[in-house]
Amino acid sequence: MSDWNLQDLQDWDDRICEIAKKHGLDWYPITYETCDYYEMLGNMSYHGMPTHYGHWSYGKSFEQQHSQYQHGMTGLPYELIINSDPCISYLMLENPLYLQILIMAHCVGHSDFFKQNRNFGYTRADTVVPRMRNAKKRIQSYCEDPHIGIDKVESLIDAAHAISYQVPRYPMDIPNLPEEYEKYRLDNLDKVKKNKVDARDLPYKPEYDLLGFCAAYGEHLEDWQRDVIEIVRDSAYYFMPQIRTKTMNEGWACFWHYKILHELELPQGLHLPFLKSHNQVVRPHVGRINPYHLGFHLFNKIEERYGLEECFIAREVHNDESFIRQYLTREDCEELNLFSFSAKKDHYEVDDVSDEEGWENVKNVLLRQTAGNSIPTIYADSIEDGYILVLHHEHDGRDLEISYAEKVVKHITHLWGSEVKLITMVDDAPYEI
Amino acid sequence: MGSVFSHHRTNADRSAKDRSRHKEKIEKAIREGIHDIVAEESIIGQDGKKKIRIPVRGIKEYRFVYGQNQQGQAGSAGDADVKRGQKIGQKQKKGKGKPDKAGNKPGEEYYDVEVTLEELAHYLFKDLELPDMEQKQMKEILSEKVKRKGYRSDGIRPRLSKKESAKQRIKRKMAAKKQGEIKIDPETGEEVFPFIEQDLRYKHITVTQKAATNACIFFMMDVSGSMTTEKKYLARSFFFLLYHFIRSKYEKTEIVFVAHDTQPYEVDEDKFFGRGTGGGTMVSPCIDYVIEQANKRYNPNSWNLYAFHCSDGDNWGEDMDRTIASNETLKQMCQFYGYCEITPEDERIKWGNGTTLSEAYDPYEDEKFKIGRIYRKDDVWKVFREFFRS
Repeated sequence: MSDWNLQDLQDWDDRICEIAKKHGLDWYPITYETCDYYEMLGNMSYHGMPTHYGHWSYGKSFEQQHSQYQHGMTGLPYELIINSDPCISYLMLENPLYLQILIMAHCVGHSDFFKQNRNFGYTRADTVVPRMRNAKKRIQSYCEDPHIGIDKVESLIDAAHAISYQVPRYPMDIPNLPEEYEKYRLDNLDKVKKNKVDARDLPYKPEYDLLGFCAAYGEHLEDWQRDVIEIVRDSAYYFMPQIRTKTMNEGWACFWHYKILHELELPQGLHLPFLKSHNQVVRPHVGRINPYHLGFHLFNKIEERYGLEECFIAREVHNDESFIRQYLTREDCEELNLFSFSAKKDHYEVDDVSDEEGWENVKNVLLRQTAGNSIPTIYADSIEDGYILVLHHEHDGRDLEISYAEKVVKHITHLWGSEVKLITMVDDAPYEI
Repeated sequence: MGSVFSHHRTNADRSAKDRSRHKEKIEKAIREGIHDIVAEESIIGQDGKKKIRIPVRGIKEYRFVYGQNQQGQAGSAGDADVKRGQKIGQKQKKGKGKPDKAGNKPGEEYYDVEVTLEELAHYLFKDLELPDMEQKQMKEILSEKVKRKGYRSDGIRPRLSKKESAKQRIKRKMAAKKQGEIKIDPETGEEVFPFIEQDLRYKHITVTQKAATNACIFFMMDVSGSMTTEKKYLARSFFFLLYHFIRSKYEKTEIVFVAHDTQPYEVDEDKFFGRGTGGGTMVSPCIDYVIEQANKRYNPNSWNLYAFHCSDGDNWGEDMDRTIASNETLKQMCQFYGYCEITPEDERIKWGNGTTLSEAYDPYEDEKFKIGRIYRKDDVWKVFREFFRS
């Protein structure tokens, strides 16, 4: 059985908080809930949200994680914390005391990051839990409505989820698009020569918020449909900063749990297993990038090179892309033994390694796969006659997987209520879906 | 400042409902993939225990993703020493027999489900019922089943139970001892206590009558020139479902394949789906043949008869009236008679003139005789369900 009770956790937490405070961390208070592994899996499937609307995809996610866990393919993540004020974090009952201490120190780092990093500025952490609860209720009521029913709701959510990453990447409050466009019209009367916003002229500039655009201007949408799309949109804006800062966020949390646990002066019996777990977490994953590894390494280097103060600045202003761009040096690439590779006919081949001539290439490849850059950027460009929504893909040398794109376009058609086409490039030639 | 701790008050199994919705989707995927599964399998000659692997495509959530020419990924090599141009690892290939396209695509998910035909049948047919099965059972010829049931004091010699008889004698002997009634043979000094008639016990046999649940299915198919391979492929999928469904409901199922152009031919499965003949189509001789054979070989009083006919709707105009008359007779004999018209989409327009069978049959459709129309692969399951929805 476990070697701890809630009082032990409380006592260790007091000391952790004390140290963290001393170092100037400033975080949302944390609510820890203990649960068993099964509940942990359940919570994970819903991104840790205490309440979340239902959708089969979360059942699928649970099944996958559960079977992986049972086959011993993956351990459970030690920690699960959500960006809310107060933060909610789950501690698994099965974890031994040293691990709980590590997790609590780690969570303080995350919570500080949520509160201080500018990317999270518009996530409205204080209301996210009631917002999600409310959304769940509404979606449930649509499912139960005899005129709507679960099948319609589900397929609409399927469609909305398909473009839930297609929201602006930079931190911003969720805009009310019709209001924005009206403002734009008034500011640009020389360009937009109309008395009011005409949907057929939209968007005035590339619109990256596809969900918002569909919800506002989709044809024949009923109120409940707009609402469901807005729910998914709200959660898309909420999660985008986490996608953009995965490396930094984990790096910052590891950086702090490591510091705090050293200052806690743990007894030997706890310190050694802690070190072992810590090394597990921040080890390199061969052939991939372990964000814990990369982030932890970089924050340590920043402290070494520019002092702790710089670390605090970095955690406040950067996202993964700018963070890596600014701080990852040749020395780091070499030390982390980074390399780039690509798929050949039936095998993978190393393209570049982190030496004098190769490290910048490797870094560029790395930049293209971090901070959500592995998600293609698609924007609404115009509306053609027949209310055809024209989407453009910002092609950066990487082609879309067309079979997927076709399916997604179909989903968007569902949301848009009218024809949709997508302009992209395949093999250096224009391609239209 | 400290944090707040509590034990999680769980609301039971929070993802239970979403998991069951996910499962329903997988089941649906299996059903929709049924035509691909059955195309490979022969209809008869399988005992239902044979395992088949069904690749069920994972219920994919599509998003915009980068494809083949991702132009490289970055990774850490750990402690390994890597060099430019070095080959590292084979690309994984998933899904046997698939061209190498599969597997390289981002996250192609396959759930390989291994099921027996029996399980598959159960999976597919669990909420379907055979029409009119109960009614038929009433007038069914009953087969006798013999079962042992205790012991009796009367019976025929061959059923004598030595063990039970010996027990009876022992009982009697014990009782006699108490009474001091056992005689002693003066010569040998041994007790004399022979078996008597009342000791003997006979195994008792009861005969239970069990409804014979035999079924015979007549599969009729037009094999004339107009029945293309594609149509036959659809018919085959349809017949596969029918066979395994009916089979799952009866103890014994026989199949008769009758192909026809203007003449009926009773053939084996291979020939049935194999090469067709040329020329015209006449349906009534085929139906008459089935009626004749059913009467001869599968007495409708003792067999549950099912008849299914697949065609592309073509029939010689003059034959239509006779066909409809024969149809009536066949319908009366059968538990269920289904007619399925297979017209692939691209051919639908061509049949502008001339009455198709389904049009001619239409007024006669009822509970016992149903008409289905298959235009494309997905319809196979739909028509099947139409037929057997209770």
